[in-house]
Amino acid sequence: MKAVLSSEWLKLRSVTSTYHAVGTAALTVALGIAWTLYVSALADERGTLRAAAPEQGFLPLVQMSLAVLGVLAITSEYATGMIRTSLVTVPNRSTLFLAKAAIVGMTTFVAAHAILLLTYATSRQITSGRHLGFNEVSFSHDLPVLLASGMSVTALALVGLGLGAAVRSTAGAVMSVVTLLFVLPGIATYLPPPWNTRISTILLPSLVPQIAGQRLSSRLGDGFLAPWAALAVLLAYPLVALAIGYYQLKRKDA
Amino acid sequence: MRLILGLDAPTSGQALVNGHRYTSLRRPMREVGALLDASAVHGGRSAYNHLLCLARTNGIGPARVAEVLDQVGLAAVARRRVGGFSLGMKQRLGIAAALLGDPGILMFDEPVNGLDPDGVRWIRDLMRSLAAEGRTILLSSHLMSEMALTAERIVIVGRGRLIAEATVAELTTRYPSLEDAYMVLTADSVQYGAAR
Repeated sequence: MKAVLSSEWLKLRSVTSTYHAVGTAALTVALGIAWTLYVSALADERGTLRAAAPEQGFLPLVQMSLAVLGVLAITSEYATGMIRTSLVTVPNRSTLFLAKAAIVGMTTFVAAHAILLLTYATSRQITSGRHLGFNEVSFSHDLPVLLASGMSVTALALVGLGLGAAVRSTAGAVMSVVTLLFVLPGIATYLPPPWNTRISTILLPSLVPQIAGQRLSSRLGDGFLAPWAALAVLLAYPLVALAIGYYQLKRKDA
Repeated sequence: MRLILGLDAPTSGQALVNGHRYTSLRRPMREVGALLDASAVHGGRSAYNHLLCLARTNGIGPARVAEVLDQVGLAAVARRRVGGFSLGMKQRLGIAAALLGDPGILMFDEPVNGLDPDGVRWIRDLMRSLAAEGRTILLSSHLMSEMALTAERIVIVGRGRLIAEATVAELTTRYPSLEDAYMVLTADSVQYGAAR
């Protein structure tokens, strides 16, 4: 297993798509700085305002970029035929898939938290004493939502890996992730109440605020899940996707 | 070959390598080296990184990677991306991958297809020298003239069934050439043939 892990780690490091994905996710830091400078300038004019926190506002960018990293970890192998070469060197498919999941999981976990914390730190430096809404609570108060955000990124990357193994196509897997992250929540919001909140409460973007004990949005109000239940649902997404992907990898000819 | 390597599941029966299922081998590259499809590589990786990715899975170090790159003549382009390689270079890269674990058994699927005469001769000589070192080489090909030059034993399979198993010498004494032997033996197994 250790040997396969080191191989998968090298596989990830030795293709440029990895750097593109992490680089795109890291744009969040620059965008966060730009956003903070903008709202700070506004606050200097008007005195006080309520702005969205940059690490929350740009979270979908981190989620999407690193989900693509998870998708490509497996679909690039199917697209090129590399999967057959990989399976000849590691014929035990469980080992190969577990190693891939571990490497994708750890890489996106570290990258997401680093990006989010950096965005948090730089924006809070810039705002200094201004009243912007998002910068008026302590770090320990923001920590749960930061951790939940980072975990949601890893969860999505693993969902991407699992669906990628299931459908064996980059476009198909990316589309599935987009559906989970943007399309379904978009539709759910406009369902007649109370169904909008009932459905939204179990969708991926709503899990981060529920884990941190916050409301979903001004339109949807409070979710139905307690923090521990929201965390369980967040973990269930990648587990289900990985199980489907594993089943397909194991069952079908390569 | 795909069945032997565990890529496909047989509808019935099993294929064993040295008495074990390939998928149960812990360090498969040390027992069997295989090249099925030279283009089955990620074009964005360098030749060296590609081989090192494969080597690491079987606990093989970077020194051996450099060694096989040298053996197949790719040492000078080791840091170049595989995507820019010609078919011949990819074929050499695939052979380097098969040799990584210094295995006693080697499997090659149509290794000389699409190669220039220089590449064909290089592979022919390499196959012979590997066999002379005492290794078993399983090679699939439709190039009968090439097989007449390279192989010792011939197995003819048609429509998934074994048609003949003999030495090249046996077949060439019975028929005018290996190609004639192939045409006669597979006459009943041609699925999509032109009218003769």
